[in-house]
Amino acid sequence: MNEHVQTVFNKRPRTWIANIILTVIIVGLLIYSFVGSEINLISLAQAGTKFNTMINEIVDINWGYFFGYGEGASFDDGIVFKMLETIAMTLFGTLIGAILALPFGFLASVNVVGKRWAKVGETILVLIRVFPELILAFILVKGLGMTPLTVIFTIGIHSIGMLGKLFAESIDNMDRSSLEALDSVGANVWQKVRYGILPNIMPELTSVTLYRFDINLRSATIFGLVGAGGIGLPLSLALTNTADPAWEMAGTVLLAIVIMVLFVDYLSGYLRKKLV
Amino acid sequence: MQVYTLPNGKSVKKPFNRFWIVVPMFIALCVAMAFVIPIDWSNVNFSELVVILRKMFTPKGTRTWGDYFGFMLTLGDEVADTLQMTFAGTLIGCVLAVPVAIISSSNIVKAKWLSMPVKFFLNIMRTIPTLMWTALAVALVGFGILPGIAAIALFSFGIMGKMLYEAIETVDMSPFEALESVGANKVGAFRYSVFTQIAPIYISYTIYIFEINIRASAMLGYVGAGGLGSVIKDNVLYNYDRVGATIIVMFALVLVIQLLSNFVRRKLQ
Repeated sequence: MNEHVQTVFNKRPRTWIANIILTVIIVGLLIYSFVGSEINLISLAQAGTKFNTMINEIVDINWGYFFGYGEGASFDDGIVFKMLETIAMTLFGTLIGAILALPFGFLASVNVVGKRWAKVGETILVLIRVFPELILAFILVKGLGMTPLTVIFTIGIHSIGMLGKLFAESIDNMDRSSLEALDSVGANVWQKVRYGILPNIMPELTSVTLYRFDINLRSATIFGLVGAGGIGLPLSLALTNTADPAWEMAGTVLLAIVIMVLFVDYLSGYLRKKLV
Repeated sequence: MQVYTLPNGKSVKKPFNRFWIVVPMFIALCVAMAFVIPIDWSNVNFSELVVILRKMFTPKGTRTWGDYFGFMLTLGDEVADTLQMTFAGTLIGCVLAVPVAIISSSNIVKAKWLSMPVKFFLNIMRTIPTLMWTALAVALVGFGILPGIAAIALFSFGIMGKMLYEAIETVDMSPFEALESVGANKVGAFRYSVFTQIAPIYISYTIYIFEINIRASAMLGYVGAGGLGSVIKDNVLYNYDRVGATIIVMFALVLVIQLLSNFVRRKLQ
């Protein structure tokens, strides 16, 4: 028995050679990646002192700035208002995205348009999904200017990619027995859509859209950094002066972002759990 | 509420449709939010967008299409920078995430007082996007690809930590118990039960995160890190055609990486 175990043990695959080669390649690439980064001790020492100031100042939350009160400040200037603005832009953007995604979802669904057209629809959706949203925001901000509309359109267009794909999937995976049941009792097309398709896919569509809202809110926080509106704008303003960044402002904005994203994350998770 | 009586004598209540509560609430929310962001439609000018697009995607002034595409070929260094930044950042972040993910998995570490705070910490890390980490890192260490690497590493750390502990928590624990029962210590049991189950998932996640990061890192240069985004930043004032050319290169790069990553991940499964 023991000999048998020994022979099997000796026949075990020798993966360590491949592992070592792979490790060497990866570590080599990692070292190569740092070659161009111009690390030197002086800049690291400077970063060290700057890091100290950052830690000291970033926790010094400016509550007047946060809630928008104090001398000469109105609610509109505060971070809370910027948060509301960001949420509003995300809401409308996701709404537009969801509405636009419906026709794309039908176009990419094999059940609705057949295999060949579904391929075309899917390719369009992949291209939309892959196009980096920040570049889209950048292009739109140059064309439309710094209005909330820029962020809304960016979010709307970018959401089509993922929402369309998931919509198509939920249409394709739909349980068709209820449609047959409706056919058997003589329902017309509208009744079939109303009582057969909509109740079937609505919870899933809502759940997917809520999830997308969550993702969009995270990306809406950074559009400000490429010049579009939202909560990223005060952050980029606070960090403009690289010699002496306004860390306490940045800290205030970061705190707001963390609170907002965690809250919406929790809320959307709760609602999605209720839906399913 | 309507009550129907069926021919067999049973009475059926028509279920209440929540639609009529949810939809008005949603519309009210939208109206309230519309007051927060008043849109001045008189300032919105879509023809300006067309002008900008034409400026970006056609050669400027006396330049020819040859110059336009020639400029794309000069971007090799920046493409390499973007790839280096993403590679190093993803690798560092994903490796650092492993111990943290193990600590926060509730089936490995039974002490809730330890795993809960770590999970919360990972959650907070994930709320801050790569571009924001970059802006902070640039303010700290100055321009270059180093802040880009740091930002990508921090973001990868957060997302990998979360994905990995969720994967570890759903692992089949019976091999672990079997190994312990034949006398393996905790580390050995982990190495030959949990690790073997997690390794392929971990590699697949790493590739997936690399793919997310390459999409994000294309624009990191715009806030001061290196790579393709810095070309956009340098040309944004005078040379819109170069900005457009860079955008095309970015899109091509992201698309190629996406296709490659899909291919490799499909092979892994």
